[in-house]
Amino acid sequence: MKITILYGTETGNAEMLAEDIQAELEGENEVDCLNLSDMSPSDFDASRFFLLVCSTYGDGDLPASAQPFAEAMNAEKPDLSAIHFAIFGLGDSEYDETFNHGPKKLAELMLAHGARQIGERVAHDASGDDMAEDLAFPWAEEVIAQAGEALGEAA
Amino acid sequence: MSGKIAIVGAGPSGCFLAQALLKAAPGLEVDLIDRLPVPYGLVRYGVAADHQGTKAVSRQFARVFERQGAQFFGNVTLGADVTLETLRAAYDAVVLAAGLSQDRPLAIPGGDLPGVHGAGTLTRALYDHPDACALPDLGPRPLIVGNGNVAIDLLRLLAKTPEEMTGSDLGAGPGEWLAGSGIEEITITGRSPAAQAKFDTVMIKELAKLAGVSIRVIGAGASDDPVEQKKIEAVQALDGIATGPRRITFRFGLTPLAVEGETSAEAVRFATDQDEEVLSCSSVLTAIGFGPAGDLPRDVLLADARDAEAGALAPGLYATGWFRRGPRGTIPENRADAQALAARILDDLKSDPDKPGRAILADLAEAVDYTGWTRIDAHETEAAPEGRCRAKIATRAEMLRRARQEERPK
Repeated sequence: MKITILYGTETGNAEMLAEDIQAELEGENEVDCLNLSDMSPSDFDASRFFLLVCSTYGDGDLPASAQPFAEAMNAEKPDLSAIHFAIFGLGDSEYDETFNHGPKKLAELMLAHGARQIGERVAHDASGDDMAEDLAFPWAEEVIAQAGEALGEAA
Repeated sequence: MSGKIAIVGAGPSGCFLAQALLKAAPGLEVDLIDRLPVPYGLVRYGVAADHQGTKAVSRQFARVFERQGAQFFGNVTLGADVTLETLRAAYDAVVLAAGLSQDRPLAIPGGDLPGVHGAGTLTRALYDHPDACALPDLGPRPLIVGNGNVAIDLLRLLAKTPEEMTGSDLGAGPGEWLAGSGIEEITITGRSPAAQAKFDTVMIKELAKLAGVSIRVIGAGASDDPVEQKKIEAVQALDGIATGPRRITFRFGLTPLAVEGETSAEAVRFATDQDEEVLSCSSVLTAIGFGPAGDLPRDVLLADARDAEAGALAPGLYATGWFRRGPRGTIPENRADAQALAARILDDLKSDPDKPGRAILADLAEAVDYTGWTRIDAHETEAAPEGRCRAKIATRAEMLRRARQEERPK
């Protein structure tokens, strides 16, 4: 499968996880890994499956590198109805009121422009005991299996 | 691209810089030099013991050494073990990323009375820094001067019950000190109104979870600005929280004029917008900013800088992070700063193959390398007691002993 991993990061933790997922998926898939700050809404390609990896920053905000993307989406209002994505969130339950609000906002932004979400949004907790990749690798495998069917139907 | 770069300070700014340099140019020789035998600086000794999620950035930093090939030279003090001039002669570029670790003094009458403690001094002791002083007796009613994130960290730690430190890396000694502090009331005072307080809203919201406190917020004021309103609302929302006996009072618009007391701090006299007000206390904790440690002439270096804004001090000499910008901004801001400086350094870099680089550090017998740190790290993680994620080694001697301990042949 052709996959693009898009990450929104502030401290670099989401970037590191995105690169780890890329390394894990390469071989069986053709995988690009891109910072959301370098992604234009017009670059979405229906033949690819988009894996979003996004943290939360400040008071439940999108991380810095996702903010220009969000602004571009709101300005360009692309039709993403042919686009399939899945999303993995990074957060810290120490700040429980806004836990994983960044990825929640990013998913809502994709859905608002018609994109189709595959699987549930999974959230890693930096204050928990799990390593992010221990949750993210099985998640990626699962959503790729589901996306195989969805992208096949769309084609 | 080849080239030899020494970074002084293995805290977040130095590690993010090494990461960015080696990502762009994997062929560089990048060395991180730190006066402590252990890396990660502020992440280990400044980020609060109960903020382990924030400390997760150290996983990125470990990779800078393990995968990107940076080398660690710990327990190497600039000036004592190697001079800045020697480093500059040996490397193509030297970067000062030493941070700002010393408390800015409270420069008012009585500001040096016994019972006045800097937040950095106190948190170093709380977090088992090897150079820390003993933890002082704060008495039943400490008063905090300052309301930035450091002040909020201090407030939260002093307010927490022992149970609320579960999962942290707080040491046994500091844990006992906190549990037996006898603190009845903490007053936190800011010079600015709540609208312009320096704390981040998210740090204030976290206080709503405290399990043993009764919080009062006095004079939070009002604002028309939406960002300021969020700040006011967050702090106002704490008012009336009553989960336990330890009283916390937020005050704003108080400019300290003098610390009063015969032999130690007993009260602080403040200027208010109308008059003066005296708040009694049993100790004064200052969280009003940080300055350099004194082993580098920061003021001179910055004053003479050819492009201070870009972190270019002199040919082949740079600065980044708090050392360059001053004590403002969080870890991600220092990441952005380091990434910008990496681009500048790579742009400027002229590699001289005759420069010896790290060979000049080879004779430092007491230096700790990354392998030494992994031994310390493994020991600290394995020794963690129930309810803790780590048991920090608190002395240099013990760190060095663990670092040198060869693995037994199998």
